[in-house]
Amino acid sequence: MLKEQLTRFSTRKLSVRMPYSAQIRFFLLPYLFGTLILVIIPAVATALIAFTDYKAVGLPTFVGLANFRQLMGSALVRLSLRNSVIYLLLAVPLRLLGALTLALLLQHRRRFFGLYRAAVYIPTVIPEAAYALLWLWIFNPVYGPLNLFLGWLGLPAPAWLTEPTTARLAIVILSLFQIGEGFVVLLAGLQNIPRSFYESAKVDGANSWQSFWQITLPLLSPWLMLLTFRDLIMSLQNTFTPSFMITYGGPYYATTFAPLLIYELAFDYFELGLAAALLILTYVLLGLIVMGIINIVGLGGSADEA
Amino acid sequence: MFHRFIQGLFLISVLMIIAACQSKQEDNTISFSIFGDPAELAAYEDLVAAFSEAHPEITVQLQHIPGQSDYRQRLAADFSSGEPPDVILLNYRRFATFAEQGGLEPLGSYLANSDLIQESDFFQVAIDSFYMDGSLWCIPQNISSLVVYYNKDMFDAANVPYPTNDWTHEDFLAAARALTRDVDGDGRIDEYGASIDPSIFRLAPIIWQFGGQLVDDLDHPTRLMLDTPQATAAFQWFVDLQVKEHVVPDAVAESAEEGESRFLNGRLAMYFNSRRGVPTYRTITNFDWDVAPLPRGQQAASILHSDGYCMAQSTQNKEAAWTFIEFANSTAGQTIVAQSGRTVPSLIAVASSPAFLNPDLPPANSQIYIDTVPTLGRVPTMHTWVGIEETAGNEIERAFYGQATVQEAIESALTLTESFFDQVNTQN
Repeated sequence: MLKEQLTRFSTRKLSVRMPYSAQIRFFLLPYLFGTLILVIIPAVATALIAFTDYKAVGLPTFVGLANFRQLMGSALVRLSLRNSVIYLLLAVPLRLLGALTLALLLQHRRRFFGLYRAAVYIPTVIPEAAYALLWLWIFNPVYGPLNLFLGWLGLPAPAWLTEPTTARLAIVILSLFQIGEGFVVLLAGLQNIPRSFYESAKVDGANSWQSFWQITLPLLSPWLMLLTFRDLIMSLQNTFTPSFMITYGGPYYATTFAPLLIYELAFDYFELGLAAALLILTYVLLGLIVMGIINIVGLGGSADEA
Repeated sequence: MFHRFIQGLFLISVLMIIAACQSKQEDNTISFSIFGDPAELAAYEDLVAAFSEAHPEITVQLQHIPGQSDYRQRLAADFSSGEPPDVILLNYRRFATFAEQGGLEPLGSYLANSDLIQESDFFQVAIDSFYMDGSLWCIPQNISSLVVYYNKDMFDAANVPYPTNDWTHEDFLAAARALTRDVDGDGRIDEYGASIDPSIFRLAPIIWQFGGQLVDDLDHPTRLMLDTPQATAAFQWFVDLQVKEHVVPDAVAESAEEGESRFLNGRLAMYFNSRRGVPTYRTITNFDWDVAPLPRGQQAASILHSDGYCMAQSTQNKEAAWTFIEFANSTAGQTIVAQSGRTVPSLIAVASSPAFLNPDLPPANSQIYIDTVPTLGRVPTMHTWVGIEETAGNEIERAFYGQATVQEAIESALTLTESFFDQVNTQN
């Protein structure tokens, strides 16, 4: 259908006869060009810089694996990687659970459902820096609305950003409201499940809890896997803005995540070689985590079997 | 954000290529890069305007980046692209990174050949702070020291005598105690006596006041000297202001509202800062304020704050760049910037002129910036100093807010800063 339309379009308007595959390549060109310039070349440059001593001023000099050896020996690097992993373990499951719960609650048409769906999505489109500053205010231990509310309820008001544990938690909490994309993907996934499955399950006497476990979850699992991998990668990067703008890595390195340390190495200490090496190390670690998950649970191909 | 970082790297490489291909225009335009708030920018705009009048043949393009850390980031990108600004305003704690890598032009011979200014016109300590490896790298514009800004109305209301020019640690503490109050009786302190950043740059003068040292050798530093009895006692006194005396905001109060904001809002009596805050403090209308020197311990001491005009090594038009630096640091140039309140002029003649000492504009006690010059110490000049300050600062902050003992903080500050000193010493 699309193919026909494209062919017709190109013959009529451009009066150039182009095979379909050539058309595809032609239309992909701008995107590929962008990817080359913005992703591939910088990635290669980073990989090369990682093996050099490069201090922004002057030229890089090749130093072999010295950067990686130095990083391995640094307690701060280990701490930042540990902070990042702790964050991923907390944030990714909670974000998925949040997106799934909201998608289940808002999958059917009812009063104001458009409004609710928009409300779930809106925090995701707030620019990162503004979002971080907003939470800086929300977490203000004395004047912030969160602690005023907790105090009004008679609950203890934590010091949030000044205590290591609550500061880490705060960065997780603020990430839990930017789940709009996962929410939309899961909504689409839910629409994809034929109603007849639920109806026949009902005939067989299944309650809604059983339907969820036996039908919804298995059929959603490919979507959930996709979101898990996507969220792992995204969450790892997304700690940068809040840790840079809200806590600047503190209190006492509690929120010094790998991306922030990379930034500090590069732009505070001008150790661009070290920063590039840590970037690569972080990605290798992330790759290992993703591979580990694939090994344990597989790629979740149950959609085809159904 | 990662993408942005990668994009940044790429941008750098593209700029490098462009820079390599482009043959530079041989005209008389120089770029001049500064950091600072809007009040400071206005001062430099006046300076550039006056320069254009005196030297119409040279055009100066002013580049302004408000934040200090953004400024450094921008300069890092500019330098790696091979296109740094021709003239750069840099703090003496930060120029070494650029000089070390061959990014800056040494200015000693330019100054020696100048008809307009010479080294002896400047306060010695300011000039010294821009020497490294035997060369003078930048021309200092100012010699601001750390002082105490105090709210006179709060002192009056609490019947506390104003600080004198030779007040002591005991006087300071007595005043701070009297001025720290829970006004509405809700169990939370509303007005604090003092605020001082928990950083090595604020702690250093107190160490000197106790007779200690910051580093073992100012010219060839190999370690911090926080573990001497004097420095430990100073550190303990500093930390006790918070953990024992509670006269400065604790971690929660500081996180709720920063000390400087409390001072500006009239709810903090004494704020430790350099001359830098003056253009902003001059906008205060709801109370009177003045400055006092740091309270003395066993001896009086304060710490140098100084920014210098530096020239990029790669600049095509060194003569024009020097003409501008020379003008900015002549009596005419320094007078313009001093009038904004931003600087304590590094030229001895301008520092004693009405441009700086203007009695009609606060602070009335400006003379103390000059009087304390003989007691000024400074931090060593080394390219890894930024890392030392940040790392030791984290330890000082931890102790200051009661999350570690002074002993623990000293031990880990010494261990964690070792590598920064080693980097400098293995190179030499």
